[in-house]
Amino acid sequence: MIESPYIPIKTEVLNVYQESPTIKTFALKPEKPLHFKAGQFIEMTIPGIGEAPFTPSSSPYENSKLDISIMKAGRVTERIHDLKKGEIVGLRGPYGNEYPLNEFEGKEILLVGGGVGLAPLRALFLALVHDIDKFKEILFCCGSRTPKDIIFKDCVLDKWQKIDKRVNFRVTVDKGDDNWKGKVGLVTTTLDNLKINLKNSIAVICGPPIMMKFTAFKLIDIGYKEEQIYLSMEKNMSCGIGKCGHCRLGDFYVCKDGPVFRYDKISHIHEIWD
Amino acid sequence: MDNYFINRPNLDRLVRSLAKTYNVYAPVKSDDNRYYKKIGDEGLRDAVLGEIRAVQTIKSFYFPARIKVADYFSQDISERKPRPIAIVGVKSCDLASLKIMDYVFEQEPFNDPFYISQREEGLIISSDCTCYGESCFCIGLGIMPYPTEDFDINLSEIESGYVAEVGSGKGEKVVKDYFKLFQNAEHYTEKKEENRKSLKGSLSEHVKHKKIPNKDSIQSLLKKKFDSPLWEEIAKTCVECGACSVICPACHCFTLKDQNVEGNFERLRLWDSCLLLSFARVAGGANPRKLLAQRLRNRFDKKFNFFPDMIGRFGCTGCGRCSQACAGKIYIHEVLSKL
Repeated sequence: MIESPYIPIKTEVLNVYQESPTIKTFALKPEKPLHFKAGQFIEMTIPGIGEAPFTPSSSPYENSKLDISIMKAGRVTERIHDLKKGEIVGLRGPYGNEYPLNEFEGKEILLVGGGVGLAPLRALFLALVHDIDKFKEILFCCGSRTPKDIIFKDCVLDKWQKIDKRVNFRVTVDKGDDNWKGKVGLVTTTLDNLKINLKNSIAVICGPPIMMKFTAFKLIDIGYKEEQIYLSMEKNMSCGIGKCGHCRLGDFYVCKDGPVFRYDKISHIHEIWD
Repeated sequence: MDNYFINRPNLDRLVRSLAKTYNVYAPVKSDDNRYYKKIGDEGLRDAVLGEIRAVQTIKSFYFPARIKVADYFSQDISERKPRPIAIVGVKSCDLASLKIMDYVFEQEPFNDPFYISQREEGLIISSDCTCYGESCFCIGLGIMPYPTEDFDINLSEIESGYVAEVGSGKGEKVVKDYFKLFQNAEHYTEKKEENRKSLKGSLSEHVKHKKIPNKDSIQSLLKKKFDSPLWEEIAKTCVECGACSVICPACHCFTLKDQNVEGNFERLRLWDSCLLLSFARVAGGANPRKLLAQRLRNRFDKKFNFFPDMIGRFGCTGCGRCSQACAGKIYIHEVLSKL
């Protein structure tokens, strides 16, 4: 018998939450548990339609189920958005590397997320909070297009803000509305006047390529070194196991050498932000 | 390794015997080209073991263009396990491509069992080229027109038969099992070396005219040409058909496609090409290689920059198939000469 690495595990949709007009979170229960670490990704199958790669947004310490927060963006994700509670999907993985949490210990951690990029950061945030005593401080900067587009709203705007005095938030939207009392501006504006000891800090960025580019540039301007910045790269990982060639980035395959990269390892690559 | 002599009738007997265990393929000639054909009752009657490589690459034997890789959610792949494959008459350029394929599909932690099982169980009886084709340039990339490694048995055509060189334990076992078919090679090895030397000389002369840079400078020259207008110039005639990838012995990219067959879901692995617009596109439409020139550059970058960094070899074996297949007359040796 050939043990194919391409077989998905049967998975039940436990619940569907509308996060924003274009983003839903799916609570999933695979037949066999998938133990992922924050930053790793999985391939989600819609039976008969195809697969797409996603990074779970739930805590890696949660064993019975996992959450995936998905923006409606393409052929597969449109079908995913039609999923209802009780339906069956498939999952493969986890694949790729994780955020190196042991290297983050004792540091002031800056998380910068844009749009659906908050999803992988949620998993990381929950993992950090799980061991909060190991880290000096967490500053979570969240950017969304409009107040409606903010995902994990009760957490970001309320619940998480009260978790611990070492945890702080800066939330901004590109464009406010009548009810928005918070900050208006691109996510990079949340990086002004950081009260952080740069020498003892790590920054993690996740979001659309253009957001990651300008955030990385801004952090360098502020005084971060490339080796203090981690990026979560998005390419079209298909096989997930470094064979199919789709997600090549210079000398790396994002699916097996990433998706988490320290900036200095990839900053020389021509196509990094494309 | 040991050399033996085997005459043509005995080689035919050997191959017929092997056909009891393996699906045996050997090149036959049609219009001036060679194609792999499954050997049946006719044995090696129509086989052409000398000359140059076949039109087909050998990757398709281990990495088929279309294969079912999952019947989800079953853990068992119901497709019948195929018989092992023996290929006779494999040329040096195609053997070299296996270094690339093996690296890709055997790389841990996730190896590809479909490829590995066929490779492990297969048998390769390679053979020396006895001439070269117009598009051939293996020697420009440091690959000889005769096999030097990675075969089980290699055949060098001499007069009425072949010098058979044993290249692996598997090959040694074949010789041992059919020892009566083999003779001492003592009188033939000198002629074998002479033939090789002569072909190497004429092929070197042929490749010299192609003005390919020294193989040790190709990677650094390519890196310097990243922003060169060369890629746009080449893209002018590319019709984005992907033929170069399909016909390349070292192109390994594939895509997974799911389908619904009467209520059963299956996943297919299909050959893909980085020349196609959708290759690197992500959901939402962002595409790091929107332009054809970028995709062409990527093809060369993968072959002459990525693979040298990974395994110290080019992802090109100088077989020249892509030059023959290209509808836009993009010749790989010509691109290299412009670096």
